[in-house]
Amino acid sequence: MYAIAIHGGAGAVPRATLSPEREQRYRAGLEAALEGGYAVLERGGSSLDAVTAAVRVLEDDPSFNAGRGAALTRDGAAELDAAVMDGRQQRAGAVASVRHVKNPVELARRVMEKSRHVLLVGGGAEEFALEEGFGLVPNLYFRTPERLSQLEHEQRGERVSDLVPPAHGTVGAVACDRDGNLAAATSTGGMTNKRPGRVGDSPIIGAGTYAKNGVCAVSATGHGEYFIRAVAAHHVCAAVEYRGLSLELAMRELLHDILGGLGGDGGLIGVDRDGRIVMDFSTEGMYRGARDSSGRSEISIYR
Amino acid sequence: MPHPRIRPLASLALAAAALLGGAPLAAAEHPIVIVIHGGAGVIERSHMTAEREAAYRAGLGAALDAGYAVLEGGGVALDAVAAAVRTLEDDPHFNAGRGAVLNHDGICELDAAIMDGSGPRAGAVAGVHHVKNPIDLARLVMDKSPHVLLAGQGAEEFALAQGVVLVPESYFITPERLRELEQEKRGAAERTPTAPLPLRPSPPKGMGTVGAVALDRAGHLAAATSTGGLTNKLYGRIGDTPIIGAGTYANESCAVSGTGQGEFFMRQVVAYDVCAMMQYQHLSLAKAVDTMIHDKLKRTGGEGGVIALDRDGNFAMDFNSAGMHRGVRDSRGRREIAMYRDAN
Repeated sequence: MYAIAIHGGAGAVPRATLSPEREQRYRAGLEAALEGGYAVLERGGSSLDAVTAAVRVLEDDPSFNAGRGAALTRDGAAELDAAVMDGRQQRAGAVASVRHVKNPVELARRVMEKSRHVLLVGGGAEEFALEEGFGLVPNLYFRTPERLSQLEHEQRGERVSDLVPPAHGTVGAVACDRDGNLAAATSTGGMTNKRPGRVGDSPIIGAGTYAKNGVCAVSATGHGEYFIRAVAAHHVCAAVEYRGLSLELAMRELLHDILGGLGGDGGLIGVDRDGRIVMDFSTEGMYRGARDSSGRSEISIYR
Repeated sequence: MPHPRIRPLASLALAAAALLGGAPLAAAEHPIVIVIHGGAGVIERSHMTAEREAAYRAGLGAALDAGYAVLEGGGVALDAVAAAVRTLEDDPHFNAGRGAVLNHDGICELDAAIMDGSGPRAGAVAGVHHVKNPIDLARLVMDKSPHVLLAGQGAEEFALAQGVVLVPESYFITPERLRELEQEKRGAAERTPTAPLPLRPSPPKGMGTVGAVALDRAGHLAAATSTGGLTNKLYGRIGDTPIIGAGTYANESCAVSGTGQGEFFMRQVVAYDVCAMMQYQHLSLAKAVDTMIHDKLKRTGGEGGVIALDRDGNFAMDFNSAGMHRGVRDSRGRREIAMYRDAN
């Protein structure tokens, strides 16, 4: 069985505030990403290619907080983080705080495949991008009027600076391919009005992103600082591997007992060794989608 | 057979402790322990002069005693690990703070993390160039910001906002590290710079990273790690040290600090995985560390070591490299400093 799941962020998504047009846009964006990733699996591609493809689609879609349309920092710039992990040999690549890379998930993948490192940050990551032939884009490419007004909103003090997580942040994907290989990818602009230099859980292997063949692949979204302290994604895999918990139980424990206990919320998507998909969240909603070769196909936002 | 009188006595003591707020009994029950490392790598007698060896031992001893003094004075584990790591950062022999290894551009780029096992709370900084004691800035991130990890200029902005005085890049640079960089660059020129993985990073020469784990009288654990990373590293490369779960981790039952080839530690989430094996597979601390270092890490080609401590005061200092600078001191009278494989 092969399968892919994606998320486009978790948070408070009150139905009342989401206009039908916007909801339609989100659903269409999720659909496109899901189909993009699933098509890779269907034609026998790897889970690594599938999660990269799905996340790239979401990065290009200005509705989601990653790539174009990412949340803006305190100084009005987009600062992007991404990670990818291949469950086969637990190889991983990640970038943090890049400001000029159109598709951070592709740079993360390049870090994994072409450098001896796992995580590159800031100007150094962009140097590497240039050496690898990536065309850089101006920071303005990422900025949308909606994110700008969100930032102005926050800066007028309608919210307490960066103590509050954004309404919905981060995109991600997990997949299991025909060969049973697992992979995970996550990409984000982080929190609106965040302090420049702040790195959340997305590019942290073990926190926001993790994959291990024979166990599971996980991508997280939510209040990143809590996910880092809880080593969330790896915790889920450790609970499955060492305690024999189902992925569903492991994710529920992490989200509702551990993160809940710490006061953090968010969501997780995961796929286990058998290609079973689990999507769970402790927020009001999570933009999400799942499709597998046994016929499951869904896009949802609310509980 | 346990002595039949122990049980009622113990419950009396517990009742008394409950009345007194628990502190006196806790003080009597918990050993205090600090364990430190000053990096793992090619540490062999044949490469060491008597003077250098004495300098390393003196530096490790000073850090061990600085951390232990905090615990002995009734201080918390968090303050003890910070004190020990700060001492090692200030000592130019170790790859952290002053004397850190130089990156490809010839400057120091420093990473550090600290974690308080009760909470758990954590703070970390990555890629800072002008902060004398990165471990203190990591602590400020934990205590004074809503974040866990700040990188680069943003971290230094935060430092300034917190009243931290910045120092010039030249403060960190030592002649020895400059020589190392020259050597490494000559060697690197002969290798393909961007060969695909699995490529083993060059064997760790910098003997990278310093760290500490401690257990205080109240039974709380903490971990701290600080590093300059790899000699000749790519600008912007972040290793395992500031990554919570990879190079640094502490919770209520276990504290771990790692040193070695950071990329391998990150992929396997080494520090947290040691704790997870203990808690979920019910391995002893020593067994969990042994499995990680000599099985899991070695199988992927990763080189390095960890120091670890549990809430009962059991500790481990283990490595699969030639040697590891390390030391332990506890309230049972133990004080050891070692560098080589054979416990010396």
